[in-house]
Amino acid sequence: MAQEKLLSGCAAAAQGAKFAEVEVICSYPIRPYTAIMMELAKLVANGELDAEFIHGEGEHAQVSVVLGASAAGARAYTGSSGVGVTYAFEVYSPAAGGRYPLQMAIADRTLDPPGDFGSEHTDAMSARDQGWLMGWAATPQEVFDNTLINFRVGEDPKIMLPQFVCQDGYFLSHIPDKVILPELAQVREFLPPYKAPHPLSPQCPVSHGPQIRPDQGAPMDAQRAMTFLELPKVIEKATDDFNRIFGRTYDPYLEKYQMEDAEIAFFIQGAHANTCKSAIRHLRSQGVKAGMVRPRWVRPWPTAQIADALSRVKAVATVETSTSYGGAMRGGNLIHEVRASLYDLENRPLVTSFMAGLGGDVILLEDFNYMAKILLQMVKEKKVRQHVYWVGFEDEE
Amino acid sequence: MPIKVPKDREVPFGAITPAPIKQQELFITSNWRIVRPVIDHEKCTRCFTCYIACPDSCWSFNEKEEKMEWNWKFCKGCQICINECPADALTAAPELDFEDGVVRLEKPF
Repeated sequence: MAQEKLLSGCAAAAQGAKFAEVEVICSYPIRPYTAIMMELAKLVANGELDAEFIHGEGEHAQVSVVLGASAAGARAYTGSSGVGVTYAFEVYSPAAGGRYPLQMAIADRTLDPPGDFGSEHTDAMSARDQGWLMGWAATPQEVFDNTLINFRVGEDPKIMLPQFVCQDGYFLSHIPDKVILPELAQVREFLPPYKAPHPLSPQCPVSHGPQIRPDQGAPMDAQRAMTFLELPKVIEKATDDFNRIFGRTYDPYLEKYQMEDAEIAFFIQGAHANTCKSAIRHLRSQGVKAGMVRPRWVRPWPTAQIADALSRVKAVATVETSTSYGGAMRGGNLIHEVRASLYDLENRPLVTSFMAGLGGDVILLEDFNYMAKILLQMVKEKKVRQHVYWVGFEDEE
Repeated sequence: MPIKVPKDREVPFGAITPAPIKQQELFITSNWRIVRPVIDHEKCTRCFTCYIACPDSCWSFNEKEEKMEWNWKFCKGCQICINECPADALTAAPELDFEDGVVRLEKPF
């Protein structure tokens, strides 16, 4: 019988890995993600999960170990946070280039400026262009579900790519919520065993990760780009199957909240979306037609779906939760992608961005009210006054 | 599909290839060698030190002819074998000794 449990985001990720029957796990401690490994270590020690549990000597080693395990044909799982995510950076591109569908859980932590435990999405966002799948969950249930969906999409024979399954540190990783744990048989129906196309094996020797010539680099890049073009079909099929087998109602790409008649919209990823939804209910009680769009995937970026979802609003606020110092809009990363997604629309909405939820800051109800006030002002004036607002740090002259 | 990689430029999936016994032809990576080892078979004692020392497994033993064989397609010219050879059977020969001083590659990159 499926059962309901109260689980934090970390515990939900560990349960996701358990139900995915991962075969090799590599850990190295850093908070907040480390609670995933504590949970998995317990599951392995109690005999509830039959997996090799390896202690890496650092995050670079962690990803290297699971890369090797994946090359040998095992379903492999690792994870990290903050500077751990950046320490492993060298291995990200080879993992995608060698087509190893391993999974890495990331519970966000601010990169050292110096030493900050709080959640901020810059750690994972820095790695978004390494050829991995990437997306944020907003609830422990979605963490659990994304763990399974990502393995399924990543291990598809047409895809074969590693996956970053991200969750906000603390806001999600350490706050328990109700999680439905399914039957193992349901998971097995959804997620068939991983079959590596060319596993390392003495019976059929192969070479992985060779040196290639510079003129072979560009075609490899193009072949990887082609894989990303195949992804939407695979993601849609996997989401459909997931919804059918587990009785869920996920849109493959976006969570849309009160968007039917929205005039202004927040574009936000991760668990801050939960506060955003309360803010929207509050704003609507005051007559403000606000809505929210939350991407479930950052890579592949759902360009067409975002353009469609935001095509009928007058103004959009991207809530950044990560930094892109000196970038085109001088703020975060999301506005670049959102503006680019909307560029080809005939009637583009006005788009600005808000730096919020950085360094572990909570995004408060009043912060969303402040953002809404600016959006309404933009609608009234029919123009964007600023590309970026630092919430709480604006000089309100 | 908006992207098309011409057949002659396709790279195997994930650059994974059947493992060679000595070498395979897909990823020839010796283009940047500036010095190559040259063996004197008279001096060579078949001690296999070069075989053990080579980081790219470019030395092998030809059992039929009973002599060491060098793989020019993968040797990067690091000269470790030359340094390690206890019989002084190996010497370094420059690869860029062209009369007009220009490196000529079949396919430029």
